[in-house]
Order: sequence, then C-alpha cells, then structure tokens
Amino acid sequence: MAPRDPKVLVSEVSVTFESHGRSVVALDRISLEAQAGEFLCIVGPSGSGKSTLLRVLAGLHRQSSGEVRIQADHPGTPLTAMVFQEHALLPWRTVRDNVTFGLENRGVGRGEREARAREMLAMVGLARFARHYPHQLSGGMKQRVGIARALANDPEVLLMDEPLAALDAQTRTIMQEELLRIWATLGKTVVYVTHSLEEALLLGDRVVLLTARPGRVSEIYPVDLGRPRGLEVRGSPAYGALLEKIWTRLREEVVRAIADDRGADHEKSDA
Amino acid sequence: MKAPGRWLAEHWITIASPVVLLLVWEWASTTGRLRAVFFPRPSTIAAHLFDLALDGTLWTHTATTLARIGWSFSLAAVLGVAVGLAMGLWRPLRDGLDPVFAVIYPIPSVLFLPMVSFIVPAGDIALVVTTAVTSFFLIAFTTTHGVRQIDRLVVEAALHYGARGRRLFTTVLLPGALPFIFTGLRLGLGFSLIVVVAVEIVSASRGLGALLWLSWQVLKVEDMYATFFVIALLGALLSYGLAALRARLLPWVPDVGDR
Repeated sequence: MAPRDPKVLVSEVSVTFESHGRSVVALDRISLEAQAGEFLCIVGPSGSGKSTLLRVLAGLHRQSSGEVRIQADHPGTPLTAMVFQEHALLPWRTVRDNVTFGLENRGVGRGEREARAREMLAMVGLARFARHYPHQLSGGMKQRVGIARALANDPEVLLMDEPLAALDAQTRTIMQEELLRIWATLGKTVVYVTHSLEEALLLGDRVVLLTARPGRVSEIYPVDLGRPRGLEVRGSPAYGALLEKIWTRLREEVVRAIADDRGADHEKSDA
Repeated sequence: MKAPGRWLAEHWITIASPVVLLLVWEWASTTGRLRAVFFPRPSTIAAHLFDLALDGTLWTHTATTLARIGWSFSLAAVLGVAVGLAMGLWRPLRDGLDPVFAVIYPIPSVLFLPMVSFIVPAGDIALVVTTAVTSFFLIAFTTTHGVRQIDRLVVEAALHYGARGRRLFTTVLLPGALPFIFTGLRLGLGFSLIVVVAVEIVSASRGLGALLWLSWQVLKVEDMYATFFVIALLGALLSYGLAALRARLLPWVPDVGDR
C-alpha cells in the first residue's frame, strides 16, 4: 500500500498536570498514528493516561507539548466526536434532542437535524425511543444514544472512552457486536480506549499498549485476525496467542502501576 | 404504579390521624375536658368559617393576603433566581456575597420592617419588600447550589459538542439548575406565606394575619381558628400547586417529589 497521510497523527505529545504543588507527568512523548478507516484500540493499566490522550484528541485538554493533527476530509463537519464513559447525555433533553445537540449548536436546519436523528437512532436500534428521556432508558440504551449523538455529527474521527465499561457483561457483548456492525457500515476512523484486552482484540485493527504512569507507548500490535470479525474469533488459536503475548507485557505494566500506587500511599503516610 | 388497595394499606394512617384528632377534639370540647372558650368544637369552628365565607369577610382578607404573597414571592423569585444564577456562574460574586448572606439570612424577616419603612413608603410596599427578604435568600441559595451541582461531565460533553456562551446557558446550565430552583421556589413560597401573615399580625389592618389577630384580641376564638384553617389550607394548596407545575415543566426529573 502506498504511504499516505495518516488520518490522525500524534507526535511527541506530553501532558503534565499540576497536583498539590507537584507536577505529574501523565503522558510522556506519545507518538502514534491512525489511518483513515482504522479501528485503533488503546489499552494500558489505570493511570496510564489513556483517557487523557483521548481528551487531548477531543480538544478537551491541551497538551503541554507535542502536536496533534487530524486530517479534515469533509469541511464543515467536526474533527472529532466523543462517546463518553458515563454516556454524559443531557438529562433534560429527549433522546432525539440529545442526538441533534451538536447539529443544533452548529446551526444545522431543523429538517436536516431530524432526518439525521432518525437515521442514527435507527442505526443503533432506538427508533422507537426518540421521545424518551435518558432516565427512562437502561445503561446499554443510554450508551447507544451516546453513540448516535457522536455519529450524528459525522466527525472525521470517532473517539470512544471505555464506552462499554459501565455495562453488564451480556449487554457489553451485544454492544461489541453492534459496534463492529456500525463501524463496518460507516467506515469511520475510530480511536477506542478500553481496559479490556479481549475487547481490543475483538474490535481493533491495531492495539496500542501504554505503560504505567507516565504513559508512554510501550508497543503497537497489529491484530491480524481477519475481518469481518465476530465473537467466534475468541476461539481461534491466533487470538489466544496474541492475547497471551500482549497480556504478558500488559501484566508487567499493571503490576508496576499497583506498586507505584503503594509507593504513593507510603509517601502520603510518611508526610 | 401501585394498586389502590396497597396504597390505602400504606397510607391509611396518614388519612386517619387528622380525622381521629378532630373527633377527639370534638369529644373533649363537648364533654368539657377542653375549655370550649379556648378550644371550641371543630363543628362550631366550621360553622363560623361558613359564616365568614358567606358575609364576604373571608374573601376580602384572603384576597389581600394572596396579593401580598404574590408580589412578595414574585419579587423574591425574580431577584433570587437572577442573583443565584450569577453567584453560581461567577466565583468572585459567590465568594463576595456568601459571608454577607450568611449574616443576614438567619435574621427573622419581620425585624427588617422598620428599616425597610425608612427606605420605601410604609404600608403595603414596605410589607412586600420585608416579606421578600427571607424567600429571596432561600431561592438564591438553592439556585446557586443548583448551578454548582451540575454534572461536570455533562457540561464537558456539551462543550465538546459545540455549546458556547448563551447556548451553553440555555441548553445546559439553566435546565441543569432548574430542579433546585424549583425546590427553592417551593420553600420560598412557603416562607412568603409565613412572613406575610406574621407581618400582617404586627402591622396591618387587613389580611388573614390581621383577621386572625383581631379575632384573638376580641376573643372571637372560633373566627381565629377558622382563619387559622384557611391559612393552613392556603399554604398546602400553594405548595402542591408549585409541585404539580414542576412535574409538568420538568418531565425529565425522575420520581418527582423525592427532592
């Protein structure tokens, strides 16, 4: 394949937080890229800055140094749209008005907004719930609305921050299949943060492994498990081997993250 | 929801207790266990209430009191919500006003009457301004809190999806604070009633508070209790009216009445 400009280019991005008068390095010179239409998964132990990286991509947090470039192919649509972990829907808006929220803010006309909402709600299987309020929906349904809201904006890149983490195991499995179907239909570039390696291998084209704090790119693994991919992939030897291989590395980082936390606790009790 | 039988099983005591109380009162006054001069029979009070309603006295006084509550509450609501929103959104204002409010708020409103009378004409205007003070603080407090408690993640999501300035206010901050604003309005309305009646007792010749006090001074005890009952009923009606309005206007709030 001829080399082309990546859809998402993250180069040497660092993020430093000020916390209790000390500076904490959350992300340390992260470099990665995602090709157009790629499903890129980011895994790492808690505290590795996965969500921070996503927030930088979403423009919700400014990096301390480094550069983020997102290739804009469709002028007039936003660069990114984020699906939040706790869905973050507006409780006072109906499902439909949540989905059209971004379009409304950009001044898209009513007719187009509603057509778009219908289309997206049909895609996530919530056509009958357009007039419901979020509190009337289950956790899985709320997250479907979150996905419809993001997709309605037709973003260049879809960002997902552990979108299924708060769901029960069965709902999560169903939603993973749904995500694969939607991604196959729309061909969006997706950057997907998860703490589940199994989920990353089911969904992703590549898996970026971040280290414990400060978050650095430890390794990037291609997921050569073919497409279209379904839950049955979990039974294949290639899947098992790759899972084993990445888990061995991830495990070291998780152990290190736990040790760091203990160390921090000791410091606290010394102080 | 629940079956009516089950509802009755859970709530019979709520319905039965006032009825039993009235029956015991009736019995005690009739048999002389309570002195009928101070505690007339409820049936006598009801007859007096009926008379007061028939000759129009009750309506004039009720209308006067209602008008005062209306003005007082509206003044408190408009200023309270405006100041509360500003304090919720703008930290320096919050930091500056918090100590002032903390000092003024616990002072019983009636005590402001003399001061207010120096500034505005004594009479109805002074009464309305005085009675608005406590409600104003209540409404401002709850409104500020309403803005402060909005889920940060929801605000962040709204920003991410392009809501800015005025739109952020009308689509996120205001609706997010509304359940608390309503709670403040409900409390404020209750206090408007309490304080209007209290101020009427000390300084007015018309209104339910004045009627109650006058009845007491000339020992028309039945009329005093009748007025008492009307005030209580008015309070309950206003409170439930506002709760019903809230349920209509805020359909997104689950289990209305919990908060």
